[in-house]
Amino acid sequence: MKSVIRKLAVSTIAATGLAAGSAAMAEDLRYVMVSHADDADAWWNVIRNGLALGGEQMDVTVEYRNPPTGDLADMARIIEQAAASAPHGIITTLADPDVLSGPIRAAVDTGIDVIIINSGTPELAREVGALMYIGQPEYDAGFAAGQRAADDGITSFLCVNHYIAQPASSERCQGFADGLGIELGNQMIDSGTDPSEIQNRVMAYLNANPETEAVLTLGPTSADPTIMALDQMGLAGDIYFGTFDLGGDIVQAIRDGVISWGIDQQPFLQAYLPVIVLANYHRFGVLPGNNINSGPGFVTADDLDLVAEMAGEFR
Amino acid sequence: MSSTGAVADERIRKTSRLRTALVRPELGAIVGVIAVFLFFIVFAGDSGMFNPQGVLNWSTVSAQFVIIAVGACMLMIAGEFDLSVGSMIGFAGMSIAIISVTLAWPVWVAILLTFAICISIGALTGTIVVRTGLPSFIVSLAFLFILRGFTIFFPQTIERRTIIGGISDRAAGDWLAPFFGGKVGGPFFAWLGDQGIIAVFERGTRAGQPVVEGIPMLIVWALLLVVMAHIVLTKTKFGNWVFASGGDAQAARYVGVPVARVKILMFMLTAFCACVFATCQVMEFGSAGADRGLLKEFEAIIAVVIGGALLTGGYGSVIGAALGAIIFGVVQQGLFFAGVESSLFRVFLGVILLFAVILNTYIRRIITGER
Amino acid sequence: MSETVHAPLVEMRDIEKHFGPVIALNGVSFDVRPGECHCLLGDNGAGKSTFIKTMSGVHKPTRGTILFEGREMNFDSPRDAMIAGIATVYQDLAMIPLMSVTRNFWMGREPVKRLGPFRFMDFKTANTVTMEEMRKMGINLRSPDQAVGTLSGGERQTVAIARAVYFGAKVLILDEPTSALGVRQTANVLSTIDKVRKAGIAVVFITHNVRHALAVGDRFTVLNRGKTLGTAQRGQITPEELQDLMAGGQEMVALEGSLGGTV
Repeated sequence: MKSVIRKLAVSTIAATGLAAGSAAMAEDLRYVMVSHADDADAWWNVIRNGLALGGEQMDVTVEYRNPPTGDLADMARIIEQAAASAPHGIITTLADPDVLSGPIRAAVDTGIDVIIINSGTPELAREVGALMYIGQPEYDAGFAAGQRAADDGITSFLCVNHYIAQPASSERCQGFADGLGIELGNQMIDSGTDPSEIQNRVMAYLNANPETEAVLTLGPTSADPTIMALDQMGLAGDIYFGTFDLGGDIVQAIRDGVISWGIDQQPFLQAYLPVIVLANYHRFGVLPGNNINSGPGFVTADDLDLVAEMAGEFR
Repeated sequence: MSSTGAVADERIRKTSRLRTALVRPELGAIVGVIAVFLFFIVFAGDSGMFNPQGVLNWSTVSAQFVIIAVGACMLMIAGEFDLSVGSMIGFAGMSIAIISVTLAWPVWVAILLTFAICISIGALTGTIVVRTGLPSFIVSLAFLFILRGFTIFFPQTIERRTIIGGISDRAAGDWLAPFFGGKVGGPFFAWLGDQGIIAVFERGTRAGQPVVEGIPMLIVWALLLVVMAHIVLTKTKFGNWVFASGGDAQAARYVGVPVARVKILMFMLTAFCACVFATCQVMEFGSAGADRGLLKEFEAIIAVVIGGALLTGGYGSVIGAALGAIIFGVVQQGLFFAGVESSLFRVFLGVILLFAVILNTYIRRIITGER
Repeated sequence: MSETVHAPLVEMRDIEKHFGPVIALNGVSFDVRPGECHCLLGDNGAGKSTFIKTMSGVHKPTRGTILFEGREMNFDSPRDAMIAGIATVYQDLAMIPLMSVTRNFWMGREPVKRLGPFRFMDFKTANTVTMEEMRKMGINLRSPDQAVGTLSGGERQTVAIARAVYFGAKVLILDEPTSALGVRQTANVLSTIDKVRKAGIAVVFITHNVRHALAVGDRFTVLNRGKTLGTAQRGQITPEELQDLMAGGQEMVALEGSLGGTV
């Protein structure tokens, strides 16, 4: 029995250290951000940096939460939990309205101010009672990109979808197809999230469908391996290549001429602005009168230098 | 225990009653639960974790783990694993969604049909394991992929999307749906809210109603499953067969225990539990997604192992597994209340798992006298 | 218990068992009577295991007949043999170390009590009977909840034997019960065998240890290369003769000489 007690003591001490480290910053205003991203999704690093910077500048406490596996039902629990801890505001995505609107509405009704960012639409944000929506409407962004590609003479494409389980992903592809004025059909593939699998599936698709004129990727997770796949097939710079979102490799590929454009939804703003908005609202009662579109912004080779410098950190 | 005639072995130490009472499979988990609660009372006591809303939150999450842990525990005691639990959750949810929304059949038909399908799949897994003698690890791993694949394929093919919503509308007025998505004790909580004992909504359409409006059926199911499984396992003939099948299948067969049937039934129970989980989730959130239940199989197994069950089978306790699930749920949600960075959750989980396994090994040595 | 002491309970006539081209048993005859301990001796590979498995219904003989209580029997499974009253205690015991003595004792034949529509295992009866039966065999359990893993090898053998006897075994087949035991535990198991025999049960005691056989055996049959080399009555044979028979005759004498004593 003695060793049992010893083990307990050790674990308690270890735990104490962890808690003390992160509870150091006690503030009068406290905001919680809940995202739908799994732990491994690198893109959300920019969000976390933006959130931290916003918190630092406004001198408020900010916390970031996400479902470890990206399971939206778990995310609903996290929102409920965030509400139970009674913060001044919750900043969250609305990745699946069916699952998330209940908990979000409950949080709003208990007196917590909510801002919807990233996934979702202005209409949905209003429906759940959020203060505002800050983000890039997915379908519209895809549609705008499709129109741009159509202007460049594209008539067929491959959409590399690495997070097919979320409706927003398909909307991007659907919007792009509609922007081109063609059927989506079988042009969207479920690539999974493993880099080598993505690379191989892209190669397999392009080998099987050599007439494909363009490739659309939905973020660094699918773009980076696709760049490698095109390199290997000798198609880099030859095939029309557009992508959603930015990252270190994507920026380099734009510079190299492999990627024609990247759609930047400017995630930094999606995390930074809500903190600023909420803090000012709670301190001075001022609130912008409308939703804020953080994107789409097209990044091409012309405006790369600043983007490159900040890629993966704030861009 | 008076001794008549026979000579007691003088080398068997007399053990105190306290020690006998303490040394049981659940001990590690009981110690863990106490430690976890003490920890959070100290570090998150005033954070809202122990207000009604907070309690409901971690209880619901724990109840989810409990439901799948019960199935996993019984199966593990019977000497097998099921890695397809997580995929089964996604599959069952999608099945309900497709049948009720896409096919527009009544929700109760969708639920019953889904239970039938899932339990049949569980029986199939079990039959393959028993017939081929292959490790259940591999067979259920195959089903992990098969089921997840179908869960993405069907909605993608039929509905061109991977999340199917609108189940809440279909479930309105259904007689079976409230058994999974409903809440009990509504009037009691309303009264508590009126008395000002628990918090009420401050604004919106539900202003004045209590924030906690009842106990979700999820929690009721969890309690029901734990009690039933515990009684079956410890108090019945069948329970003895479960232990025997996992302890030594050959020895059990020698004395006429229908090992194959026991194991297949346990696979079916696991599928049933996954299905209960999925149905509750779908009825609560109103939608089914292709990514639901990812990695839940491991979470179930971790809860069971924290609860003192032996990975090789033949030993364990449903109560222990339930406590393991509670530890899991409380830690996962509680770290948030304590303000700990969420990525450290896995670190915590690993540490707890390690301590639990070491402690449980020690307890088991005392029980079985192995050296 | 059968009153006709001299009629064999089980009689095996000219049993042959082939596994493909391998002839494991080649005409073995053997019988055992109530209240007797018939020892079956043989070196490793002599066919002892095949023989027991044939007797206990695991294997079907390729040729030959098995008479049980005078009637010809064809066991389809060990379960059939067990129901008829032939119980086998295997070398690996068929005991589950992690389970309690009671749970092991009643495994497969749990007593049941009704409580309304539900049927529960009757632990009160099970525990009382287990303690009582173990006490009869000379073992005092600390508690019926004690895991079998905490018992010594000899005690485990005794639990297995007590279990078989309690559930009405007429014939008890013991597969090498003493092979892995120390001196004192062996003595305990041998005395258990003696108790069982005195209760009128027919015991088939398989061993390759001549001394253990002579300690409790009434008759001795030696098996070598799938054949019986004959049966001897107690007192008609010396340990040395038995040892020689087991080893297949003359070579053993030479070997023993070079080792300077009895093996």
